Amino acid sequence: MSASPIARQATHSQAIPSRRVLITDPAQMPDVYSSTPGGTIYSTTPGGTRIVYERSFMMSLRQSPISQTPPKCSLPAALLKNPSSAQQSPATPAQKPRSNSISFDESQETFSMDL
Amino acid sequence: MAGNNAEDVEGSAGADCKTNSTAEVPPEFLIKHPLQNTWSLWFYDNDRTKSWEENQIELTTFDTVEDFWRLYHHIKLPSELRQGHDYAVFKQGIRPMWEDDANKMGGRWLISLEKKQRNSDLDRFWLDVVLLLIGENFEHAEEICGAVVNVRPKFDKIAIWTADTSKQQANLEIGRKLKDQLGIHGVIGFQLHRDTMVKHSSATKNLYTV
Repeated sequence: MSASPIARQATHSQAIPSRRVLITDPAQMPDVYSSTPGGTIYSTTPGGTRIVYERSFMMSLRQSPISQTPPKCSLPAALLKNPSSAQQSPATPAQKPRSNSISFDESQETFSMDL
Repeated sequence: MAGNNAEDVEGSAGADCKTNSTAEVPPEFLIKHPLQNTWSLWFYDNDRTKSWEENQIELTTFDTVEDFWRLYHHIKLPSELRQGHDYAVFKQGIRPMWEDDANKMGGRWLISLEKKQRNSDLDRFWLDVVLLLIGENFEHAEEICGAVVNVRPKFDKIAIWTADTSKQQANLEIGRKLKDQLGIHGVIGFQLHRDTMVKHSSATKNLYTV
């Protein structure tokens, strides 16, 4: 399966792991803010944990139907792309049948944890 | 802040993606990919009746790869902005201002673009810079505050702002990676905000160069 760890976690239905950690002293706080008390759900590595995406992986997500939907927030009209001249955004609605042309490069590690 | 609209852009996509059978949709297209940080998109409106600070508008925040693309697909590219306008992408809570506590001791790697590069390089550089940031592609990503693109009559500028100018190794790593990823051949310089404050940027000396 070529899914990223994030996708594997999300597409298999499972409870979100959670744990409560009681902090009684500031000294128990992690010294890097990329970590949380007691470790993060992405597991902990020395120096904290980071979610890292490579450019090519993020570019492939650009085609995701979710990525095509309009943002929910209201933006100044002056900043919106003019719909009639929106030539670079493929204005294809998300419902259009997708071909399999979008593939993920399985040989490439598209998701990596910073060690 | 005036005109501030930091409304969350969570999950309105559901209705659009359940129309199709999910059988052949890659699993990556079914979910949103969380980012390490929540980022704010700022816009500088060059309104003469307002102060510089009032012109800085925090448009929205995003914390997934897909929410970034939703925004990107619907707003103008830097090259389509009016001259005098800026975009900035900063970690949530950091304002794109020297005075912000996170920027006080900081500086910026500055890329100046010639006029002709507005068509060839500006949009490409800006997208790649933002992807480097939100994908946490720098070894010293914790030193990153954000990035700014200035669209100007003379030189368009793209800068990455970092938190602490004294961290030489971290800043050099960021500068080298930036230059390498964008394929810049010339020299780029790192300037202290407190130097930029008192001089015009063209006269500001570089603390580091790569």
